[in-house]
Amino acid sequence: MIKLSGIHKSFGRHEVLKGIDLTVNKGEVVAILGPSGSGKTTLLRCINYLEKPNDGEIRIGDFALNAKHAGKKDIYSLRQRSAMVFQQYNLFSHKTALENVIEGLIVVKKIGKEEARKRGIELLEKVGLGAKLDAYPSQLSGGQQQRVGIARALALEPEVILFDEPTSALDPELVGEVLAVIRRIAKEGITMIIVTHEMGFAQDVANHVVFMDGGVVVEEGPPAELFGNPQEERTKQFLKRFSTEPSYSI
Amino acid sequence: MKLDPSFIWTAFLQLWSAVPTTLLITLVSVSVGFVIGVITALARIYRIPVLSQLSSGYVTFIRGTPMLTHLLLIYFGLPMLVDGLSAQFDLGWNSAKIPMIGFAYISFSITAGAYLSEVVRSGLLAVDRGQMEAAWSIGMTTPQALRRIVFPQALAASLPNLSNSVIGMLHGSTLAFTVSVVDLNAKAQIVASTNWKFFESYVAAALIFWGLTILIERFTGLIERRIRVYSKGGVA
Repeated sequence: MIKLSGIHKSFGRHEVLKGIDLTVNKGEVVAILGPSGSGKTTLLRCINYLEKPNDGEIRIGDFALNAKHAGKKDIYSLRQRSAMVFQQYNLFSHKTALENVIEGLIVVKKIGKEEARKRGIELLEKVGLGAKLDAYPSQLSGGQQQRVGIARALALEPEVILFDEPTSALDPELVGEVLAVIRRIAKEGITMIIVTHEMGFAQDVANHVVFMDGGVVVEEGPPAELFGNPQEERTKQFLKRFSTEPSYSI
Repeated sequence: MKLDPSFIWTAFLQLWSAVPTTLLITLVSVSVGFVIGVITALARIYRIPVLSQLSSGYVTFIRGTPMLTHLLLIYFGLPMLVDGLSAQFDLGWNSAKIPMIGFAYISFSITAGAYLSEVVRSGLLAVDRGQMEAAWSIGMTTPQALRRIVFPQALAASLPNLSNSVIGMLHGSTLAFTVSVVDLNAKAQIVASTNWKFFESYVAAALIFWGLTILIERFTGLIERRIRVYSKGGVA
């Protein structure tokens, strides 16, 4: 279980997160929606401590970290319990697909090279890249890179995988293959938090949808409720843009 | 005075004895300079208090003054410091015991460190911040991430500049003759003046320097080809 309590984050004088509380149950897929600047990506990055929250508590499983007094060790512990899939993939560009996947196993989990390789190959086959083990990121398409990114996150068997707009940087025709992989692993019962603009995907895959705006959670609930019968005015406004035909054509 | 082409070969053979000295000065100054460069570059990028200001001051002063001046400052300043310390604390040191080539090692390392600091810094800055974040996100510590992810890429990015600096230090090592170290150029001068064949001797020296430079370029090219395996395709 993941539990965030009172997460605050400011960049300078700009308060991006104004006290976020969020609970994610084991095996749940949570989609975070919201307009640009609503703080959803910052929240996700706080869970992995890529941004340091100013205040609040992050609990992943039996490990809790208080932002007010978190030491280096706590931060490393927290990061080992989660893994991130980035919008820009961020694959290690000097390492092959397989090396990318097994890097964490070898360096962090201290697993032997042979065993790590075996596991890495399995994972790359699972995301449909069994033929690209030795390809460097620059030799892969965006969709393939992102699938390696997902395999890299899976390799560590984290308690939660954080997806930061995993398809936003992709060509429209490559979005499908990445979403298909995420959908498949969601079915395996891996806990996931996904920041996304893919409304249809969120509706389809998520068990729980969170709508954020202005650094607070405006509304949350099961997808059927949030999409079908939003309670808050702001949510309705936001969702309207996705459900109605645009009044213009290009 | 007439040109004596055959003496170029004679001089060439005689100059070989000085090549190890030239290479050693280059190797020591570049290696020590590289360590200084990495430390000062990291201090500046991560804005480590005090160390970062010291590093910036060091880089701007050394890059703002000629290499020959560094050598002369060390040559005249270091003995004062050593003898002063020795007298103060009764250490029994004596600056006369410092070999001449030691002055060259120390001063050229300081010179190389400042230039390499900039080379390393530009290399580190060329690595996308996302690489570090990805390493953190899979649970690596900062030192692990630097060592395994950032440094190899930074080194690759700074390779052309690095090779430039090595060549610069190789040629700069000729200044060591001012503190009576017999490097390649000094040897050429000796051969020249004992045989009264200046042009021929310096031609031989130039050819050796050129050859060494080509070796450095070839070596760089070899590594670059290996790096290009992953960097080709542009957008990473």
